[in-house]
Amino acid sequence: MNDQHIAKVSGKKLGQRLDSRILEEEIQKLIKLGYRNLNIRAYGQHGIGGRLWRADHDSVHITVDGQAGQRVGSFGFPNTVIEINGPASDDVGWLNAGARIVIHGNAGNGVANAMAQGKIYIAGNIGARGMTMTKHNPRFDPPELWVLGSVGDYFGEFMAGGVAVICGYEAQNPENVLGYRPFVGMVGGKVFFRGPHNGFSQPDAKLTPIEEEDWNWLAENLKIFFQRIRRQELFEKLSDQSQWQLLRARTPQEKVGRRLRPMSFFRQQVWNKELGPGGLIGDLTQVDGSPISLITTGILRRFIPVWENRKYAAPCEATCPTGIPVSERWRLIREGRMDEAVDLALSYTPFPAAICGYLCPNLCMEACTRQSALMPPVDVTKLGQASIKAKLPKLPPVSGGKVAVIGGGPAGISVAWMLRQKGHEAIVYDMAQTLGGKMTTVIPGSRIPESVISSEMERVKEVIPHVHLRQKLARQDVQQLREDFDVIVIAVGAQKPITLPIPGNERLITALDFLKQAKTNKAKPGKRVVIIGAGNVGCDVASEAHRLGAQEITLIDIQQPASFGKERQAAEAAGARFLWPRVARAISEAGVELATGELLPADSVVISIGDAPDIDFLPPEVSTENGFIAVNENYQTTDSKIFAIGDAVRPGLLTDAIGSGRKVALAISEILEGKRPVGDSRIMIDRSRVSLEYFDPRIIEYSDMDQCGSQCSSCGICRDCGICVAICPQTAIRRREDDGLVDGYEYVVDDTRCIGCGFCAGACPDGIWDMAENDPLE
Amino acid sequence: MFSNKPVTPSTLSVKDLPWQILWNKDKCNLCGQCTAVCPVNAIELGVFRKKFIEPPVGLDINGTLACDYKLYYGIRQKTDPAYKCVGCAMCNMVCPNDAIIPCRSDEADKLRFHMDRGGQPRRRGGRRNVSDGILDRIKFIRISMLTDPALDAGRHEFELRTLLGRVLPPDKNLKFVQQQGWIPPVREIYPLIIGGMSFGALSPTMWEGLQLGVAYLNEELNLPVRISTGEGGCPQRLLRSRFLKYVILQIASGYFGWDEIIHAIPDMKEDPCAIEIKYGQGAKPGDGGLLMWYKVNKLIAAIRGVPTGVNLPSPPTHQTKYSIEESVAKMIQSMYMAWGFRVPVYPKISGTSTALAVLNNLTRNQYAAGLAIDGEDGGTGAAYNVSMNHMGHPIASNIRDCYLNLVKVGMQNEIPLFAGGGVGKTGNLTANAAALIMLGASGVQVGKYIMQAAAGCLGSESDRCNICNIGLCPKGITSQDARLYRRLDAENVAQRVVDLFLSFDTELKKIVAPLGRSTSLPIGMADALGINDRNAAERLRINYVV
Repeated sequence: MNDQHIAKVSGKKLGQRLDSRILEEEIQKLIKLGYRNLNIRAYGQHGIGGRLWRADHDSVHITVDGQAGQRVGSFGFPNTVIEINGPASDDVGWLNAGARIVIHGNAGNGVANAMAQGKIYIAGNIGARGMTMTKHNPRFDPPELWVLGSVGDYFGEFMAGGVAVICGYEAQNPENVLGYRPFVGMVGGKVFFRGPHNGFSQPDAKLTPIEEEDWNWLAENLKIFFQRIRRQELFEKLSDQSQWQLLRARTPQEKVGRRLRPMSFFRQQVWNKELGPGGLIGDLTQVDGSPISLITTGILRRFIPVWENRKYAAPCEATCPTGIPVSERWRLIREGRMDEAVDLALSYTPFPAAICGYLCPNLCMEACTRQSALMPPVDVTKLGQASIKAKLPKLPPVSGGKVAVIGGGPAGISVAWMLRQKGHEAIVYDMAQTLGGKMTTVIPGSRIPESVISSEMERVKEVIPHVHLRQKLARQDVQQLREDFDVIVIAVGAQKPITLPIPGNERLITALDFLKQAKTNKAKPGKRVVIIGAGNVGCDVASEAHRLGAQEITLIDIQQPASFGKERQAAEAAGARFLWPRVARAISEAGVELATGELLPADSVVISIGDAPDIDFLPPEVSTENGFIAVNENYQTTDSKIFAIGDAVRPGLLTDAIGSGRKVALAISEILEGKRPVGDSRIMIDRSRVSLEYFDPRIIEYSDMDQCGSQCSSCGICRDCGICVAICPQTAIRRREDDGLVDGYEYVVDDTRCIGCGFCAGACPDGIWDMAENDPLE
Repeated sequence: MFSNKPVTPSTLSVKDLPWQILWNKDKCNLCGQCTAVCPVNAIELGVFRKKFIEPPVGLDINGTLACDYKLYYGIRQKTDPAYKCVGCAMCNMVCPNDAIIPCRSDEADKLRFHMDRGGQPRRRGGRRNVSDGILDRIKFIRISMLTDPALDAGRHEFELRTLLGRVLPPDKNLKFVQQQGWIPPVREIYPLIIGGMSFGALSPTMWEGLQLGVAYLNEELNLPVRISTGEGGCPQRLLRSRFLKYVILQIASGYFGWDEIIHAIPDMKEDPCAIEIKYGQGAKPGDGGLLMWYKVNKLIAAIRGVPTGVNLPSPPTHQTKYSIEESVAKMIQSMYMAWGFRVPVYPKISGTSTALAVLNNLTRNQYAAGLAIDGEDGGTGAAYNVSMNHMGHPIASNIRDCYLNLVKVGMQNEIPLFAGGGVGKTGNLTANAAALIMLGASGVQVGKYIMQAAAGCLGSESDRCNICNIGLCPKGITSQDARLYRRLDAENVAQRVVDLFLSFDTELKKIVAPLGRSTSLPIGMADALGINDRNAAERLRINYVV
């Protein structure tokens, strides 16, 4: 009813400035009363013009004269038009929800902050943080801010919608109409502006061409803007499209971080340019430093596989004092070459059947890798016993040196046997009528059938010339031999029993005598036998004494008995007692008197504490040590023409004696050929390289040699199974045949495919593959 | 192991080791990559025999029951301490089928009692095996709500810089100019400094990557980040480049590469940022170092100015200097002379209860440009286990005592303190750094965090990997073997350095903005700190909050 009437409101009553609250209540009251046109004389009151919803859909027009306070038109409603006839303070149109606000002058900071709808027209410049946090609710038209001049700093921060138009006319700062650092965090809306600027937040906003639609909108609304601020005359001047620019928020998809040059560019164009080609250390190294992958091939592998076939000795071979290549023999058997496997032994020993098959404690089996997994060792005695049929290799013509061998026991026979095979002439001188030494005279018949020894001795006789001495050698005889031969080998053994310097020692029977007599059943040990010295010879005495009727057999020793193996087992089976430590003080008719005073009753007392060599014949140039002949690693004595082997050097097993014969023969052969003796440099393979999991643990005894061969883990000798080829993840291993190679084949690695995983080494049953560290790159 | 091998006191089972390899037969493809990549050969292909015996239900077997054996291949872990799994998990990284992973033992390992073969105590690389620390427990409790308005880390501009050099008060400054015509040089630098890690301790790719990243931060991002060379010399090219100004040259008791540095002085385009004289290292206080001869290849030798294949010892002390006072006085002055008094020189010591004495000495030295203190949680390429785990002083109280002492003598703005040792060891780099700054540090030095974030170092407080000392770093960070260090791309390292500094920068703003700071670091602003431990609060003189 009063809508045409202009209600005048003064911010002062009775000379007193009204509080903002009182003025607000006054305005709301007038609206309620139906007034729709208000003219307010303001004295710095805040928040004028907002919240006028009581007018319903009527439009309300408010003009303000005087000094409007802060937040003019905040919470403005769409029905409201506010016109300030002069400048305005801060936060014009804060949270404006639809009012049209016209400022006929400059406005302070925070214009249009958080405005969501409505239009704000400024006929001058505005302060800092204009158009910040604005919104565009899709239910309504976007908010608009029109500024005739320029805007202050931090304009449009977090602007999320709406349109701002900055005309740059009579700008406060003509150099920069957008102010310092505008549009940080802007996410929506657009801004038309006219005039120079000093940059804006590139990650948030971008300049965009003004399309025809944009321009039409701008041109049309510019007219309205100028109308609102009563400056229509400016339209022509400011409607030159070429002077305008349009900026809008980047979409989330367009958001970019700081525009940075790629590191690779920086490295090439800045870093290397300053430092030189190759960068920091390009002058110091030529090593390629380019990136590589974790898994590499070729020279970039850290470890490389090496096929070490036959590089190491198998434990059996390495521990055999004679050096018989046991696993090689089993390999031949696996390949069906039984005869070769059998015959091969004769290249190492003249007694493969007697020793390997019967008399040897078989150190090779003790050492067998299979024992490591509680599996029975491959049974070499089967191969040994089969060797009775071994055929001599074709002997080369005698062409080399002449060697005299003194002593026809196992050591002497061995050295002569090997020298003959090497083409040298070796003549054995011995006191006995037939060759064989202790083997034929003192080994109990229970240990080996007589026929085995005799048939092997027959084979020996075919090869070795023998001179029966009939009398003891004297020094001058040796001197003569030394002149007649290139080399002398002393293999006289230890025939002189060692005895004890105690009362009654004349009652002692030496083991050697006892065993010799026992062999011909002439020994009469009685019921009670005490044996002093509980080694293997003592055990042999015990077994023989038992065979010959002894019932109570005691072996004493001053230390833990060194006896082992079959000898020990046989003695124990004969019911022999082992006592230690026991020291004999005297021997009497009653028996053995111990240091403790105790008496061990005995019908006979046998001493078996070892034998010493009888070496009175030695020339004085040959040194001895504790009664044995001193030799170097090649069994050479202090007289370079004289060698010594077997028990004459140090007491040992038959196989030790045979082995020393073989080794000295090889050394002599080399020396006679003018070479330096080298011997076998191979060391024993590390058993952990061998994989026993491949074998069946249910096999606890062997039915035949074929089975033995199949169960041999072939330590260090390739069994040509091809597992490495199959396991290699890179298909890098292949089998290459070449007749020039020892086995006619080898396994080779393709370096360009191998990654050095070591699967070949892990899978190899025989321990052939090894992973070696690759050579350093620099 | 063979079943009937005798055991020794040091015979270990897989269970006794710190790390157990879990291998999944069903998933394994037998591709060989795990055994190929394992740095310490802890795993190998194994042949396994398995027995199958299936008695029929009802036992209708007539006295004989057949059984069968089958073989399969798989990955076996070695138990020899020389080949112990170090838990690096490279096997897991390369496995295409996710069939293998090392797991930490569920109890204290037995191996630790046997790591002294031949009487040689354990040595290793890495860090102290203690996972927590006081720094993580410090909170920033002062969130400005009042007249000092909180700032917006995302919106406001920050100038987070610190000063390295002797800062004179105005009156003294005037006096210096008037009386000597000289005032000490001061550098405005970024407060997060990459601490000294030598060329030699680090691989060539790692070292170049760090330098490249630092150059990028300076030249492309205007972030004045500085890096210490560590004690291993400095490549000649870098000495003669403009990038030298981003570099703090370190001199330590081995003096490696210093003749090369001296020869380069006439050709230097730029002065180095500063000279750091190392007297101690937080990880192994009072102990020296030895670069083993086999690591001294052509490249290392050229940079350190030594022949190849020789041992390079760095003794625990500077040999001809009998006291730290003498040492500090003489060395600082000589270093100043070398660059015409244009380059700040400061000592770096290990955290120690005697740090105050050193500091007091420095306050009376007109040249001393600062003091860096390296706390017990620092890392190292190689140290005795006992030095690493048990020697040293925590950094927090050490830096706090020093700062409060400076306050007492009124010199807190004159000699900057730099804190290091375990900053960010649990990943909280920025919080730890900010805590140290508010306790009184002008800046922090970091090493391990850089190795982890920039190069993917696998080390951890649960004794994972930690084999920097034997040159087998599976990531190529600390190896001199091209087969390993080429796994690391210097460019990627540089990019990560950039990333971590930018994220640190953002996080630091998130911490200082609520304090209302944007243009100066809140050095010593301890009223902003709180901790829920009364004793710690009392000791550090910060707020006790619960």
